Amino acid sequence: MTVRADGDDALLLAVAQGDRQALEALYRRHAPWLLARLRRRCADPGLVEEVVQDTFVAVWQGAGRYRGTGDVPAWIWGIGIRRLIDRLRKTSPVPRSADDALVVSAEDEVLLGVEHGDLGAALGHLSPELRAVVQATVLDGLTTREAATLLGIPQGTVKTRAARARRELREVLA
Amino acid sequence: MTTTWHADPIALAAYVEGSLDDVRASSLEAHLLTCDRCRDGVATSTPADAIDRMWGGVVDTIDTPHRSAVERLLLALRVPEHLARLLMATPSLRLSWLVAEALALGFAVIAANGTSGQDEELVLFLFLVVAALLPVAGVAVAFGPGIDPTYEVAAAAPMPADRLLLIRAAAVLASSVSITALAALALPDLDAIAAAWLLPALGLTAATLALGTWVRPLVAAASVALTWVLFAAAAAVSTQDRLAAFRPAGQVACLAVIAASAAVLAHRHTLSEGRIVR
Repeated sequence: MTVRADGDDALLLAVAQGDRQALEALYRRHAPWLLARLRRRCADPGLVEEVVQDTFVAVWQGAGRYRGTGDVPAWIWGIGIRRLIDRLRKTSPVPRSADDALVVSAEDEVLLGVEHGDLGAALGHLSPELRAVVQATVLDGLTTREAATLLGIPQGTVKTRAARARRELREVLA
Repeated sequence: MTTTWHADPIALAAYVEGSLDDVRASSLEAHLLTCDRCRDGVATSTPADAIDRMWGGVVDTIDTPHRSAVERLLLALRVPEHLARLLMATPSLRLSWLVAEALALGFAVIAANGTSGQDEELVLFLFLVVAALLPVAGVAVAFGPGIDPTYEVAAAAPMPADRLLLIRAAAVLASSVSITALAALALPDLDAIAAAWLLPALGLTAATLALGTWVRPLVAAASVALTWVLFAAAAAVSTQDRLAAFRPAGQVACLAVIAASAAVLAHRHTLSEGRIVR
């Protein structure tokens, strides 16, 4: 993985020392994609905006806890998706139409070439429900429990769907 | 791994809009974690007003002072926000003050449990005298320049000075009475005398507030405290009964003090000719 986060690390260090301008710079850089990415996982735009705000408040308060493990965008995403799940846990799960259904993936390297490879087609074969589970557990890196809250389904269903998705992918790719 | 691949602007715009297909969106999301250039692409496709609005929300949250657990409890009990804040700024409602009160009473209770006969009566006497004085001390340090961190703010606030005084005094009284009541439960040979501090406490607090019409709370409290200690000691000596001040006659005297103080407080404005001393 290329280290393109030098600037981010320096900004985060300044944020940890209470630099408001550094927080704003970090926010301007990372809020747009976080907003877009969370929007694909929650149908309520107001809730998503609150989650983005919460995330950067948490960055402000927790910048000192960032240990430089993994890069800053991944750290921010980890905060954001967990804030979203916390919010969903408090409210009732947001109903989601099939069009909104969540997406899939495996690891970055595979995904970078996915448009041309078989995996893209294989993922396309999965039903939206299975793809949603694969995305939450694999790409978003959520635990079974977190995925269950995000998708509004029981934990057992997450597990069975993940197993089925794995089986189907194996068959298509074989 | 170095990436030379970049998403095209149309795909980025479609992603922001939410119309990019699932598989390509996943691919892009993985890429966005590592690519500044494509993140900038997302930023330019995102409406600036949404970003500015959320930033306003972030700044608001960061600038809001942290609320203590007690203040959140007050708000949960439907206490208006401005009152909760005024109460929280009261020096004698700080945790350190309340702990000090509890410790002082705790030592008295421990001493009372460790003695018997004549000594026990002496310790009980001290417990009752101190218990009656605690709210007075609390009221004394509840206000005033140099003590109250919000003194200047309160002086300029559109709230009558005596209303703030009474609100804080009531809160101080409630907190120290609860602490004292708990401590009294731990006294040995629990009987009616264990509650004999309650009316004196109310009477002394009322007298302090009433005196506050003419002098600063600190001066008022000191005068009241001195008078009380002298009165309790004199009653004990003259009647050969250490607890004389707490017998029915003393309780009736306290009621009289409460009534007189209430009358003074009700006519505070006329009595002080509009000049409230704080």
